[in-house]
Amino acid sequence: MTIRRVLLVLAVFAMALALGAGSALAQQKVIKIGALYPLTGNLAATGLDCKRGADLAVEIINGNFDLNLPFAKGEGIPNLGGAKIEIIYADTKGDPKNGLAEAERLITQEKVVALIGAYQSSVTKTGSQAAERLKVPFVCSDSSSPTLTERDFTYFFRVSPHDGTMARNQFEFLKDLGDKQGKQIKSVALIYENTEFGANVAKMQQQYAKEFGFNVVSDIAYPANASDVTSEVGKLISAKPDVVMHAAYITDAILFTKTFKEMNLVPQGFLTMAGYIESDYLPTVKADGNFMTVRSTFALDLAKKKPMVGQVADLYMKKYGIPMGENTARSFTAPFVLADAFNRAKSTDSQAVVKALLETNIPGDQIINPWKGVQFDPKSHQNIHASAMLVQIQDEAYHTVWPFEAASRELKWPFPAWKDRK
Amino acid sequence: MFDISGKQITVGGIVLALLILFPLVVTSPFGQHVAIITFMFAMCGVAWNLMGGYAGMFSFGQVAFFGIGAYASSFLLVTFNVSPWIGLMVGGVISAMLAASIGYPCSNLRGHYFAIATIAFAEIIRIVFNNWKLVGAAEGITVPMLKESVGNFMFHSSKLPYYYIILAFLLIAVAVCYWVSSSKMGYYFRAIKESHDIAHVLGVDVVRYRLYSIMISAFLTSMAGTFYAQYILYIDPESVMIMPISVQIVLVAMLGGANTVLGPVIGAAILIPLSEYSRAWLGYKGTGVDMIVYGTLITIISMYQPNGVWGSITYLLRRGK
Amino acid sequence: MDQLAQQLVNGVLIGLVYSLLAIGLTLIWGVMNVLNFAHGEFLMIGMFLSYWLYVMAGVDPLFSIPINAVALFLLGMLVYRFIISKVMKGPALAQLVVTFGISIFLANFAALVWTPNFRSIEHTLLSGTWDISGLKLSIPKFVTSIGSVATSLGLFCFLKKTRIGKAILAVEMDREAAVIMGINTERINSLSFAIGSALVGVAGALLATHYYIYPFVGGSFGTICFCIVALGGFGSIEGAFVAGILVGVVQTLGGYIFDPAYKLAIVFIMYLITVWIRPQGLRGW
Repeated sequence: MTIRRVLLVLAVFAMALALGAGSALAQQKVIKIGALYPLTGNLAATGLDCKRGADLAVEIINGNFDLNLPFAKGEGIPNLGGAKIEIIYADTKGDPKNGLAEAERLITQEKVVALIGAYQSSVTKTGSQAAERLKVPFVCSDSSSPTLTERDFTYFFRVSPHDGTMARNQFEFLKDLGDKQGKQIKSVALIYENTEFGANVAKMQQQYAKEFGFNVVSDIAYPANASDVTSEVGKLISAKPDVVMHAAYITDAILFTKTFKEMNLVPQGFLTMAGYIESDYLPTVKADGNFMTVRSTFALDLAKKKPMVGQVADLYMKKYGIPMGENTARSFTAPFVLADAFNRAKSTDSQAVVKALLETNIPGDQIINPWKGVQFDPKSHQNIHASAMLVQIQDEAYHTVWPFEAASRELKWPFPAWKDRK
Repeated sequence: MFDISGKQITVGGIVLALLILFPLVVTSPFGQHVAIITFMFAMCGVAWNLMGGYAGMFSFGQVAFFGIGAYASSFLLVTFNVSPWIGLMVGGVISAMLAASIGYPCSNLRGHYFAIATIAFAEIIRIVFNNWKLVGAAEGITVPMLKESVGNFMFHSSKLPYYYIILAFLLIAVAVCYWVSSSKMGYYFRAIKESHDIAHVLGVDVVRYRLYSIMISAFLTSMAGTFYAQYILYIDPESVMIMPISVQIVLVAMLGGANTVLGPVIGAAILIPLSEYSRAWLGYKGTGVDMIVYGTLITIISMYQPNGVWGSITYLLRRGK
Repeated sequence: MDQLAQQLVNGVLIGLVYSLLAIGLTLIWGVMNVLNFAHGEFLMIGMFLSYWLYVMAGVDPLFSIPINAVALFLLGMLVYRFIISKVMKGPALAQLVVTFGISIFLANFAALVWTPNFRSIEHTLLSGTWDISGLKLSIPKFVTSIGSVATSLGLFCFLKKTRIGKAILAVEMDREAAVIMGINTERINSLSFAIGSALVGVAGALLATHYYIYPFVGGSFGTICFCIVALGGFGSIEGAFVAGILVGVVQTLGGYIFDPAYKLAIVFIMYLITVWIRPQGLRGW
């Protein structure tokens, strides 16, 4: 045995030792992600939904699951030596001021390397501003204001579709309804809560209504969290629209549904969002919610085409005892996008992570949402594949009805009169 | 005119020095943020005190002036590229004028009727801004990120300038309040508070002095609003014009001790760190325990210190003499 | 079907809900000069009580009215005895801060023990809508308004006809004179606070028949109720009753004819104009 050989063996041995020690060190490593959500106050139910989704995602990444999701099999993030992800939550109470403060606190004190959240667009706005200043990536998967990705921030990315895309999808549906099913729609009425969220949705709907050639017969802004909405519904009845498009959070969604029924408003259909797909909506209004058509980025029946969705939903059911919903599904996806970026960047350094995020290309079969995948626009950082589908409530459950090719149930259209039910 | 003893100057000087040194010791952005928000509400509380504490007009509509201050500077900056410092003055003047125009017809309202009138006024202002397309309606105004400088009233790399600016604002407010309370105007205010009619009989021009106090209060509150907009860089009616902010301002003044110059400052120093830190420590659990603690504490404080913390301290000091 | 007539009916219906909430508030306000910020949270407790009675014991909200009234009466008495009475001698604003603290505590405590989720009572004895030649009349809302009228009348008679009621009115008019007349004002305070709370308990049971229930539901009614009480004149039961209906009608018709976005602004402008002309409100003194 020559000296060279001995040296080589020794070198290999030393390298193996170093690697082993290194990976042993890395295995203990924990990557901290910060999450901003309204966890107390009147949007607490929503915030807790979002939290459950992110928690389950982290459990799947960290644990060993037989699912077709990135990093489900095997524990932690492989290229970082199986590093685990930990989410540090912060409560915003839905106040933009707290969004800023908590983002800063999470980054500077809790040393998180990335942020997710924050449900309300106004809070995401200030939270992502703090992230931009402190140069930490913010991956948003639940705020829908188009302005968020119009700012051309370096560190802000959005996985979910924005209101512009979703408004276009709604009108594509109305057009499809005429073209493919011969159910012609001429007029729509817009009704929306007069907040940042509702006003943005309505602006986009106005724009696409014009583009697709629909007549907006009524444009009604109303104060959110009202105690009575009969005058709003009265205005809708007088306007006689073919379709009512409603943008509301949960409180108003419940109150409006009850008032629609009470005052017997029967358009050809209701196109709704947000509040109508909150996990509390159906348990509260029960059968009165039937035949509402809701824009969504998730439905449990996606499991028919993607069995993985069913497995995730089962895990969720087992863990929390309630069915998985839209908000949960949105917040569920962000940790995977970040984990994928960490893995490819082989680091949690923010520059490297941003570079990796820009190169993100997660195929559609590895996410629970019905999109072709996740890929960010190089300038706006909006996921170019994100879009909305439409689900309809039938038998007190959400079923995919549009795009028609992907439908799991046939769309019930026009909306059946209230008195003919049951 | 000012009746300040040497001891008070020494104590004041030490406190001021400590406040100036504070952010150099507490370097975490969150700690500094809490201090900044504390000063902001302290300033609003001091301004409220001029109306509520001294002149006895309980306003629950201070948020209207706060919001107008925030909107005036942001709107002028975004639309006409006017410096926020000029916007600050414009906002202050508009607020003061609006305060006068609402204060005049309300000058014969007493007690709770006045309080509810201020709520009504603030809600009307909020609804108008929520529908006013020119100022962004419900979408609000995003203040563009400009180069950081004192002239631009914007700083990205550090919170220190924000800290010192709001500290200076607070000192201005305290100085104004001190000056008013020890001047002839202050005695008129107290006379009006004790009894409208007697003050009137004694020859105090009740309406005029009520208007003065409302206008000064509105101007100072508006300054705090401009500061908020430049600090947070995003405003909408839901974040700068809602009633909980008015209530917060009243709470700050009340818990500290209305009718004393420094009461609201003490009140803010208790209340704001309490709510910020309890949220940071307990809020993430999503159980609302932080709010339960908050609600319990303000109940207990006002049960056992009905004159406010500072009010009770000064009372004890005076009795001890 | 005439939408305008429909809106008028709807306005009266919601207005009577406001009246019911406002009479309890105005009683407390008039007697004790305390602005009770926790009124909305007492309503929330009443609604939850009806909900749990319905879920656990199958008691229809209509039959939980007396249970609610008694329970909230006791709650009000306890809150007064152990908290409010401690600050009655302090400055007026201390009382206000106390009630504000209680409201934050109750709402968040409810969210902690009952979760912040939304609930509703599905099938009550009162579900459904009457259709009177095109005019839609929701049965639970109609019964609620009957309940509101009956409760207000009951309170009115109680105050005018009974000894205790007269004592309450006396304290409301002039506390010092009442003390001289030998009325135990402490007892009257505690009683008024308890009655005010019991009234809102009744409102809770009635609203539970058709409204969603969640820990922060009190916030939806807060500001508008203060405005109604002031509009009616502090301490005036009939003033609050009339002002409630007025606000309901103005809000609904205003929203329908003009723009729903401004419907609350119209109410507030109405208040400002009223007190500008009549600084003591509609029926105050």
